[in-house]
Amino acid sequence: MNPLLKALSLYVRWTRRWPVLASVLPFVPVLLLWAIVAEARIFPRAFLPGPIDVVMSFGSLVYKGILPEYLEDSVVRLALGAAAGVALGIPLGVLVGMSARAHRALWPILLFFQAIGDIAWLPILLIWFGFGLTTMTFVIVYTVLFPVVLNTVLGVRSVPIVLHRAAQSLGASRPRILLEVVLPGALPNIVTGLRNGLGYGWRALIAAEMIVGTSGVGFLMFDARRAGSVVEILLGMVVLGLLWYVVDGWMLVPLEKKTVERWGLVAR
Amino acid sequence: MKSLTVRGVSKTYFDPYAGAHVTALHDVSLEVKQGEFVSVVGPSGCGKTTLLNMIAGFIPATSGEILLDDRAVAGPGPDRGVVFQSFALFPWKTVLENVAFGPRMRGLPLPECERLAREYLETVGLAHVAARYPAELSGGMQQRVGVVRALANHPDVLLMDEPFASVDAQTRMTLQEELTRIWLERRPTIVFITHDVEEAVFLANRVVVLSKGRVSRELDIPLARPRAWERLIEDPQFKALSKQVFDLVRAA
Repeated sequence: MNPLLKALSLYVRWTRRWPVLASVLPFVPVLLLWAIVAEARIFPRAFLPGPIDVVMSFGSLVYKGILPEYLEDSVVRLALGAAAGVALGIPLGVLVGMSARAHRALWPILLFFQAIGDIAWLPILLIWFGFGLTTMTFVIVYTVLFPVVLNTVLGVRSVPIVLHRAAQSLGASRPRILLEVVLPGALPNIVTGLRNGLGYGWRALIAAEMIVGTSGVGFLMFDARRAGSVVEILLGMVVLGLLWYVVDGWMLVPLEKKTVERWGLVAR
Repeated sequence: MKSLTVRGVSKTYFDPYAGAHVTALHDVSLEVKQGEFVSVVGPSGCGKTTLLNMIAGFIPATSGEILLDDRAVAGPGPDRGVVFQSFALFPWKTVLENVAFGPRMRGLPLPECERLAREYLETVGLAHVAARYPAELSGGMQQRVGVVRALANHPDVLLMDEPFASVDAQTRMTLQEELTRIWLERRPTIVFITHDVEEAVFLANRVVVLSKGRVSRELDIPLARPRAWERLIEDPQFKALSKQVFDLVRAA
């Protein structure tokens, strides 16, 4: 057999047995390439440190307690902002999705403000609220809110009319239909909105921290630039990617597996 | 006694593509007594689904009235159970939760709802899939769930909208036989919409032929029960009745 095919079948078999491998192995060539380019000294070491340098810097920043503290700041900000965004976004989305009147009144406004991106708010927020938590929270809530609202509207409207009718002829009241038909029916879209919202929110937070910054991963990276420490900038980037991987793999994917996939609402 | 009366019902709606008003139903009257099994048969576009949607209360009639005993129908309600062509099971509820939904909405205590749901699932041999989700079942099984979900809510009238049109031919025959068996055991009042002439004759006590939005003919079906395809497929009376209905539908 072709050795390439053999390797591929081996890869498929092993990743099926240990799914963790599937999320780790694709990074091996990327890391290897990075290490080779760095070791070849095509660029000065201070411009492009290798993976080992970044791991060592990770060790020292963790040891000094800076990274854990900053990471915690960022994650707590994101969690609070996202929770507020979701708590506002889902009810608003349900309202706009279910009521034709609310849709007429609010949809144009939603589209208008969606276009004014998170960062575009920063100048005026800095004047209103200054360099602080209020500004950052506003930016995250704002960023999370729109994907959640727009996708919830989409989800609510995608629930087949025949399911509304079935529930009505089984005697369900409007609130019960909302709770037992509309919300679960909209869940696949709500999860999509949540995923987009958290993704955008995470990016917006890092950007806000760079500008507003007193702490957080974004601040760490921007501060490192001031000190000319490329290693710490790279470390910040790696941490951002890894953290998203964890949020997606440990929270969103299991949620989807338990709900929408089991219900047959999306293809497995 | 709960009987269904459809009196002089018409339905006109505006068709934006044709740019004109279209009459889907014209002065339709129908009387269904308690415990009767009535099939409404007609070619596609004859207005049979419109009629069912109005009896169910999903869409309002333009004129005329629909009465359950002497109470006018206004909107959907649990007194009229509906079985849909697309099954319309809740994908996020297990089979048991789907069947228990109606009783739960009526406010029965949960254990009672589940006991009832289990009992009804047993009548169609589906007790073993109670904990599964609808997407994990075959089409035939899903529609069995659809039927018992409506029955478990004890409706005064069971409205069935081409319920077996989207399952394969073998399963369809089994489902038809099961439905006649259930009807014999529990005597629910059934209005069954279909475009399939033999299905209409096989199931019902009375067949109503609908054409171009009007009732063109009503026909009693005096075939003996229990009915089984094995016997009826060669039965001269069944063949003659089917031919008669077939000609009426064709002439429509």
